[in-house]
Amino acid sequence: MMLGQLRVIYSAFRLAMLHWIADPQWVIPNVIAPFVFTFVALTLFKGAGGPFGLYAVLGGGMMGMWGNTLYSSGFAIEFEKWQGTLEDVMATPSHLLHVIAGKSISNALFGLTNMVAILVIASLIFRVDLGVASPVLFAVSIVLTLLSVSALGLIFASAFVLSRYTQVFANGLEFPIYVISGSMFPIALLPFWIHPASYILGPTWGIEAVRIATAESIVPTVFWVNLSIMVVITFIYVLLAGFLFSKVETKARRDGSLVEA
Amino acid sequence: MSIIRVFLSSAIFSFKAQFGWLYPPMWLTMKLVMSLSQMAFFVFVAQFLITTGHSAGPDLVAYIAVGNAMSVLSWNTVFSVINITSHDKWDGTLQLVLATPANRLPLFVGRAMLHVFDGMISVIIGLAYAALLFGVNFGNANILLLFAVVFLTAVAMAGFGLLIGGLSFYYRDPLVFANIFTFILLIFCGVNFPVQELPQLLQPISYIFPLTYGVEAGRKTVAGASLAEIAPLIGQMMIVGITSIVLGYFFFTTFERLARKTGSLESV
Repeated sequence: MMLGQLRVIYSAFRLAMLHWIADPQWVIPNVIAPFVFTFVALTLFKGAGGPFGLYAVLGGGMMGMWGNTLYSSGFAIEFEKWQGTLEDVMATPSHLLHVIAGKSISNALFGLTNMVAILVIASLIFRVDLGVASPVLFAVSIVLTLLSVSALGLIFASAFVLSRYTQVFANGLEFPIYVISGSMFPIALLPFWIHPASYILGPTWGIEAVRIATAESIVPTVFWVNLSIMVVITFIYVLLAGFLFSKVETKARRDGSLVEA
Repeated sequence: MSIIRVFLSSAIFSFKAQFGWLYPPMWLTMKLVMSLSQMAFFVFVAQFLITTGHSAGPDLVAYIAVGNAMSVLSWNTVFSVINITSHDKWDGTLQLVLATPANRLPLFVGRAMLHVFDGMISVIIGLAYAALLFGVNFGNANILLLFAVVFLTAVAMAGFGLLIGGLSFYYRDPLVFANIFTFILLIFCGVNFPVQELPQLLQPISYIFPLTYGVEAGRKTVAGASLAEIAPLIGQMMIVGITSIVLGYFFFTTFERLARKTGSLESV
């Protein structure tokens, strides 16, 4: 990648970090939903033993990570609109995709802190044993899942350029993704016609890989198969986001619909 | 007469300010998705327990489905109502609202009223999902009584939304409160598990939320309870709801007085 493009990504990343530092209260809404869902699941699982506690805590942690990353990446364009800076960003010679990618990476970092917060809170309050059988595989699967969710967020972000209705969809899609990806239960429980939707979501494979990495009897082949499928899906997300960005950017410039969208 | 006019204007404009930009088909789509996804999430968590032999079965699914169908109204009556304050601040309309000579009580209460009906629609959609997708039996329910329970729960919860919205005037970003108070209801209000499952220290908190009584009344009505059987719950819920409105109005008027006195309306 060209040095100039990296500089754009870094600048967008830095600016997003500064925005967050200036207004850190937003960590509360980002953490509250996953925390509540984890609390409810752990209360329902109380006394069940077995893998239930781990399902709830890991699922909650992943939700903390996904919710923030997916929502914030998609919301990156809308935020520029609110601040009245989208036109300025579009007027620069930098590619919009690189600007949003920088923001997405910063959101992913916050997502990671959300996950840690959920894991710590849940394990302290509910005393769930968070023994991780393979810390290395666990870390690898977490980071790659985070990138996969960021890439999914980029697709949403491209749609934000065209329409403000995407905000409604991004809000409304958070919970369905928690359901479809089987964040706190095996996807085998979902109706069979939902399974294709589950399989095209990177997080579905990511959470499975994370669960395998924590299990005492790790099956490396299954772990790597899950992770590889997720990487392929993520790659497709990035290609799709790149294609969509070039299309919507041109359309918004041509139609002059950037601000009214 | 002018009180009714202020009440209706406040109800219509507050709702329009928040959702006027949304096409009705989009609004309906979101309602259909939101009502289903929250309920489905917890039902599948329950089915995880059931399929592994850790829970009895259909009773738990029905418990969770009806609880979530009732609680989904908190998106309208708590999240949206608190956000009226956010919109007033973001859009710069708070000053205009407070500059009018309109009676403050209908102005304050009216702003939540269309959200009550919006919330009722959400609950009806949720109950339909509970019956059609998760097999909840409504055969014993008095449907008219169930509508009344849903309406009164929505009114009482809008009162709670107004209370938090009133408090939020003192805060720069009420959206943060909106998020917190919409979600913690899932813990405290017996939506997915009985209040008695909470640590004893936390249980009293459940009874400051009108939804706790509304969810229980809704479940009992679905199971075939009569008006006489749920009347105490409804009575308690309305006391909590009305108290919330009175407190919210107190915070709202106090904020207005302070802001006028100190000239801090825009800086808050």
